[in-house]
Amino acid sequence: MAFRDRLVETIRAAGPILETEGVLVVGSEVPNLLEPGAAATLIVSQDLDVGVPVDRHAAVKQRLGDLRAFEPSAEEPSVWTHRSPGLLELNFVGMDPAQDPAEAYVLEDDRLPLLVFGALSLVVAGARIDVEGTRLSLPRPAGLLLEKLITDRTGEKGERDLLVALGLLATAGPGDLEELEQVYRRLRPELRHAARSNLTILSLLAPRDGMPDPRPWRAELAALMRRLETGDPGLP
Amino acid sequence: MTSALERRLRQLRSRVLVRSWEYRQRRHARGVWFRLRRVLSDASEAHVVTAEEARELVREGHAPEPVGQDLQPPKLIVFAPAARVARLASARPLAVRLSADLLLAECLVLVPFETLTRSAPRGSASPP
Repeated sequence: MAFRDRLVETIRAAGPILETEGVLVVGSEVPNLLEPGAAATLIVSQDLDVGVPVDRHAAVKQRLGDLRAFEPSAEEPSVWTHRSPGLLELNFVGMDPAQDPAEAYVLEDDRLPLLVFGALSLVVAGARIDVEGTRLSLPRPAGLLLEKLITDRTGEKGERDLLVALGLLATAGPGDLEELEQVYRRLRPELRHAARSNLTILSLLAPRDGMPDPRPWRAELAALMRRLETGDPGLP
Repeated sequence: MTSALERRLRQLRSRVLVRSWEYRQRRHARGVWFRLRRVLSDASEAHVVTAEEARELVREGHAPEPVGQDLQPPKLIVFAPAARVARLASARPLAVRLSADLLLAECLVLVPFETLTRSAPRGSASPP
């Protein structure tokens, strides 16, 4: 079964949750869904990250009973595993717009506890798309891109996440870059540094099969770094 | 029920602590890797050259990047236009990434992206 088919089937099976107001698909599948026809050509992990705003947690909980194709993992209660091998896991993550981007906390709950990632406070709802009959919301590219750039990652997973960020950048228009710059300037210096540091790592990554090739994008990445650095005091 | 989440939370907070520690070192020795990556990020091409040709570029006014002196052993790193690099007999192109070949090179000449105007060489101090 092709990965795209599994992704589409997962979205269909998770429709009751994904169509809940406020819920966003976040994470690595976003650039896959932004490809023409949601072509899903990037090689990413086999899960679908479901962003749940903390003020919509109760509404999402009410709909968990409709998730007949999934069941909660005994080991990781925010992960719901599939009952059918043709589906991806659902990975629920919490979003709290009032949270510090560098912090995290656990939203305790018997049925659906969430790890609330501060970096996801930068993410806001964007386009609502139709994936073969299921309506779901994606984040605006700027916030998700910055979330990827300030989240500390290591190793192969970390580098792949940066290439996912490149996939987002590839879909970003001038307005998205303007928004990215505005949000970036509101970050505190340590996080601005983290974003630029990750951009330098992305710029120097070797290409990988099944992921966007950073080499043709290096000039744009350099220009973006210059743009972000402009007006930052103390630049060498 | 949430012990797994608590464990992930502790891991995440640990990484944040490490990131803060690294940020505080950005102007110190450990910050050299960010500074080196930042310089390389502005380069469309990288070439290994002999010390003689690198010094010749410096004499012509191409200022050395300070980050080269922050490494051990030190490197002479200069930016020069592609047309000038094409006239360097010893220039051997490398992929622009932190490869062993690049790190072993004693003298590097970098070609800036045409879309960027090179500013003065970056100092040892890192931006916030």
